[in-house]
Amino acid sequence: MRWLVILVCLAGCKRAAEEPAAQVAARAASMLPSDVRLAGLYRASCQNCHGHPESGAPPAGYHFAWDARWKQGLDTLLSHTIGGYNAMPAGGQCFACSPADYKVLIRFMAGQPADAS
Amino acid sequence: MVSRRTVLGVAGGAVVAGAAVAAGEYALKATRDVEPVVPPSVDGHGRLLWRNWSGIESAYPAQRAAPAAEDELVAMVKSAPGPIRAVGAGHSFTRLVPTDGTLVSLDNFSGVSGHDVALLQATVKTGTRLGALGEMLAGVGQEMFAQPDINKQALGGALGTGTHGTGALQPALHGGVISFRMVTAKGDVVQASATESADIFNAARVGLGAFGIITEVTLQNRKLSRIRKRTELVPTGEALDRWPELKKAHRTVEIYVLPFTGMSAIITSDPTDDPVVPRGEDRENAALLELKMLRDYCAFAPWLRRWLAGQAMAGEKPVVAVDDGYKLLSNERPVRFNEMEYHLPAEVQATAAAEVLAAVEKNRPDVFFPFELRCIAADDAWLSPFYQRASGSVAVHAYYQNDYSFLVELVEPILRRYGGRPHWGKLNSLRARDFAALYPRFRDAQAVRQTLDPEGKFMNDYVRRVFVDG
Repeated sequence: MRWLVILVCLAGCKRAAEEPAAQVAARAASMLPSDVRLAGLYRASCQNCHGHPESGAPPAGYHFAWDARWKQGLDTLLSHTIGGYNAMPAGGQCFACSPADYKVLIRFMAGQPADAS
Repeated sequence: MVSRRTVLGVAGGAVVAGAAVAAGEYALKATRDVEPVVPPSVDGHGRLLWRNWSGIESAYPAQRAAPAAEDELVAMVKSAPGPIRAVGAGHSFTRLVPTDGTLVSLDNFSGVSGHDVALLQATVKTGTRLGALGEMLAGVGQEMFAQPDINKQALGGALGTGTHGTGALQPALHGGVISFRMVTAKGDVVQASATESADIFNAARVGLGAFGIITEVTLQNRKLSRIRKRTELVPTGEALDRWPELKKAHRTVEIYVLPFTGMSAIITSDPTDDPVVPRGEDRENAALLELKMLRDYCAFAPWLRRWLAGQAMAGEKPVVAVDDGYKLLSNERPVRFNEMEYHLPAEVQATAAAEVLAAVEKNRPDVFFPFELRCIAADDAWLSPFYQRASGSVAVHAYYQNDYSFLVELVEPILRRYGGRPHWGKLNSLRARDFAALYPRFRDAQAVRQTLDPEGKFMNDYVRRVFVDG
């Protein structure tokens, strides 16, 4: 248990040093995809959690929370999105989204550049 | 719920850690968490997986539709393969949504399309998520009478399943509906209210998506109000004893019974003009995971579990927040679970809850989620669980990685014995003949549904079980 507490503390300290929580929250709440249709999908579903850090979901645009996830690969993140993973509900509760939409929205939230292809 | 210290304080945590070492493998065997198997993202026909929030229901719809406007929805209903099932956030635990036909998302039907300042009414599209609706209504100076516990559902799904808040004088969400607009199986658009197509209004207000697809509703709201929300921990026996008095004294009140701890949280709210005290950082989910940790390490010794919880919660002061009601009464619930909730005659609720608690504590040491006790005013929708009956609800949850069969096998028989009606979106084993005995106007609702959708275009297997005798 002690090592776990220490790890959690260290993670918390690093996160605190990474970026002020208020800044993370403000950015997450304000981010929207530039594409109007995707912005509508995002607003109706993803933003309900990823726009509000208190939900426990990785906040949109917060690299500290996203980079380790991004390293798993886009296909893995897509699979987790469609089927659900831990607190992430299946489909991200966006049932109007196609797999291609999910990929663009994952990139957007992870702060990764759009796929040129 | 309350502060982080509530469940596992510094001392308590240390003792739990020690208990974990002592319990070792036994504790792990006693409380196995198993991640549900995730079905393939795509089936053999290239159809994309749909899965509900908790992960126990899934389907591969042949078609998915997200119409942008009513005429598109009408055309889709006329031509798309059935069963046609509308989905919001997929938060129901029952098989309301799964279809191998057409899955319809109303995400494009979102927002407040009109409001009446004098009458405090607003017309809202049913794809609107509850988490967004509170702020939208606040923008026009209004709020719904009821605020459900969870903020993720779409309004249409919440209304169609009889979703509710809590308060002896507070009707469920559908109690505020004064009219709605619905696309029928034949592609007609019906406007229904107490004075226009009244049978459809009464039958389909809580309609499980079986009567048609409701695209917008006009809600009777009230003026936006600031509330004072107070959460205190008390022994469970005291909470249940005080329940009748609490229901009379507060606009909203609920009890979270914390199983295996001997303690409960009483949560009340009332209008106030006090200055805002924001709810602050959400500790409820951290507290929930601490209850889980207590379960993980102490399921082998209920006495230790109770003692540790008592130590951690002793002397905890009430927590108070002051803000607009929609900001305080609906919550993020990121820890997934499965749930059963029955609505009972108000006068037997506490007795039934105590019986359920005793049964769970005797038989299922793996349970750690709080039970929820809430109260709901009567209404007149034919399929409302609160039809002509002031009700008290008892909700029992199972962590999504744990076996939930006890809900039907252990909890449901008790709640049925007390005359309970199940929440339409939550686990139950009932079928048409059972509902006919519980709902005085069930046969009338069946007849309306049959007239509107004689070919069963909106009926999947589960909805058929609800509406068709057999």
